[in-house]
Amino acid sequence: MRLALLFAIALSPLNLFAQVAPPRIAAAESEPANWLTYSGNYQSHRFSPLKQITRENVARLTPAWIYQVRRTGIVETSPIVADGVMYITEPPSTVTALDVRSGRPLWTYSPTIPTDVIVIGSPPVNRGVAILDDTVFVGTVHGHLIALDAKSGAVRWNIAVDDNKFGYYVTSAPLALAGRIIVGVSGAEAGIRGFLDAYDPKTGARVWRTHTIPAPGEAGADTWSGDSWKTGGGSAWLTGSYDPALNLVYWGTGNPGPDWNGDLRPGDNLYTCSLIALSPVDGKMKWHFQFTPHDIHDWDANEIPVLFDGTINGRARKLVAMANRNAFYYVLDRETGEFLSALPYAKQTWAERIDAKGRPIRRPDTAPTLEGTLVFPNIQGASNWPSPSYSPQTKLFYQATREMGTYFFKGEPSYKPGEAFVAGGGRAVNGDDAWGAVRALESTTGKLKWEFKLLTPPMSGVLSTAGGLVFGGTDEGNFFALDAETGRPLWDLQLGGAVRANPMSFAVDGKQYVAIAAGYSLFVFGLP
Amino acid sequence: MMLGILLIVVSIAAPGPAAPQTSTMDTAPGKKLFDGMCARCHGIDGTGDEGPSLNHPTLTRAPDADALRAVIRDGIPDRGMPRVRRLTENELDQLVAYVRSLGRTATAATRGNAERGRVIYDKLACASCHIVSGQGGSFGPDLSEIGVSRGAAYLRQSFLGPAEALPRGSSPVPGRGFTEYLPVRIVTADGREVRGVRINEDPFTIQLRDVGNRLHSFRKSDLKDLEKEFGKSLMPGFRGRLTDAEVEDLVAYLSSLRDAR
Repeated sequence: MRLALLFAIALSPLNLFAQVAPPRIAAAESEPANWLTYSGNYQSHRFSPLKQITRENVARLTPAWIYQVRRTGIVETSPIVADGVMYITEPPSTVTALDVRSGRPLWTYSPTIPTDVIVIGSPPVNRGVAILDDTVFVGTVHGHLIALDAKSGAVRWNIAVDDNKFGYYVTSAPLALAGRIIVGVSGAEAGIRGFLDAYDPKTGARVWRTHTIPAPGEAGADTWSGDSWKTGGGSAWLTGSYDPALNLVYWGTGNPGPDWNGDLRPGDNLYTCSLIALSPVDGKMKWHFQFTPHDIHDWDANEIPVLFDGTINGRARKLVAMANRNAFYYVLDRETGEFLSALPYAKQTWAERIDAKGRPIRRPDTAPTLEGTLVFPNIQGASNWPSPSYSPQTKLFYQATREMGTYFFKGEPSYKPGEAFVAGGGRAVNGDDAWGAVRALESTTGKLKWEFKLLTPPMSGVLSTAGGLVFGGTDEGNFFALDAETGRPLWDLQLGGAVRANPMSFAVDGKQYVAIAAGYSLFVFGLP
Repeated sequence: MMLGILLIVVSIAAPGPAAPQTSTMDTAPGKKLFDGMCARCHGIDGTGDEGPSLNHPTLTRAPDADALRAVIRDGIPDRGMPRVRRLTENELDQLVAYVRSLGRTATAATRGNAERGRVIYDKLACASCHIVSGQGGSFGPDLSEIGVSRGAAYLRQSFLGPAEALPRGSSPVPGRGFTEYLPVRIVTADGREVRGVRINEDPFTIQLRDVGNRLHSFRKSDLKDLEKEFGKSLMPGFRGRLTDAEVEDLVAYLSSLRDAR
């Protein structure tokens, strides 16, 4: 028996690599055929070192296979590829493993979602899984975190992150580190008190919980009034980043509750609309930076924090950058959280400027009103959940940008557990009055290098590659490739459904592929 | 996604039972909400604009307070009416009270005669570009249910000065909020000029129909010039060519088009 097992292992060398151990994820660049974490690497570059598809040959790109999801809903998945298998999610919380050579499903797992599930604040979507060792992890719209056997889809464990009756739910891909599965919650539109959790990958036991809203007596509690912290929001609804050398996790936080009426919560409302840096060991916050104090426009700061090193004023620094939903591109020191610079990368009408500490000086008359106040950027922001990309080759930060305004309405706050707690809303100025662009920003400053205009505000992420390309998508269903140096369009294809997903790249049998979801399908492209 | 523009709470001009005067609620708070979120399409005081008028005793899609509440809460997505935002129960009460009060004010009755309006419609040869009840040309919008979806003021404007009243999209093509029937002038690489209305568009391609109703499809990168003619219309305007009475008769005819096939 034991001999036979050893023999089998010896005969299939792939098995030796079938475990996605943490060092593999930390060194993701060394195996570009795989895509082992949500944004491609812990630094969240969404950059592929593969260079078989180039500026010269991208025009010949052709579909290799297409997988159609079996459920209606928006497909926002960002695939993971490990050792010949692609792991995707389908709305609302289904995980499917596909053979990367053929697109044929290997297994699929659908959790039982209660019919009275509470999902307030986004459509019931899922943005992807995490993989660690031989386990795949998925968060669900009913607020669970589920560990699945990567080979079969069998449930290893299934725990409730928090009570969905109060509006806690999960749409983002967890982040897998050594000994930790980190997951943030959604639900600020239901008046939750946000947090970030870490779980033991083997058992599902919670290791720590760090609230994004301090309780009375904790640091930052003085930025809330009365009991407003209890319904303070601050969701952590998108996947963060990780610096293995500093051993710090970087995670964006969302809006305070209620969204559009701040009367009940005077103060800065820490740590909403912030970037927080915390230790994966115990969840202790090392620093925080708040982009939009006392937000009243729903400009979550959950956007992907991108880690890279650069020279600022002649000094080499470890940086973190975010193209914030509030239309400013921020550069911070990721060791200390020190604010370094902010420049608008999209039209904005709400801030006179950002001061030397990184605090916005607001313009008057930009608060939501009963009658509606027109403000740029729009209610869904100049950016949102779709990922940016950073290319270590060009040192550019690529951002799909939404140019749009919204009439913001102030409503009345009324909290009932499990119901919407938003106190207002907005009417976006859409159609021919709105547009978009893929913008290439100088990563250390946010200065515009080039832009490629889009007809409408995009909800698609971007991917850059060592082949000198940037891939992106449109709401009209186009998937396209641009020259990463100039923004010149090199290839496009109409996929027949809105692209509301992130592109990624992988290789198998020595061939590079690019994958993107559009409409109800996942498309995989390669050279003929 | 709070997209979508056109609010279509269908109203019926036909006399119906008077709205029950059950609500004694102050309508001022509801009016404020309405002016911010609804008046852009339904007009100030609900007299109708790009969306239908609401100042009728009975609204067919919202014949009672509960139905009206549901329409405001959820929108009518397939007819272009968005759920503008999430409302509290109290805010819904306020809006319902105000919208239902509109039916108790004097209806902005159409003064014209629909039968005489139909004769004018035929005389102006509107049918060469518009379909009513399956008959007519298809270059312009189908008018079979236009009385359901548009208010009188908007209908009047649409034939007096159509360039100032191009409809904004309520359908998925070319997309919510987009100007429909937008004139576009194209010059191809070999110098050929094509003028027509935009049917659809994405960053890489555009589709038009010319005045002969022929479809043209272009890759934008192949074109020498592409001009979107905002503020223009390919429909002739009839301002100064009709008497005031004829204008009202035509409005009355268009308002009467409520084909429910």
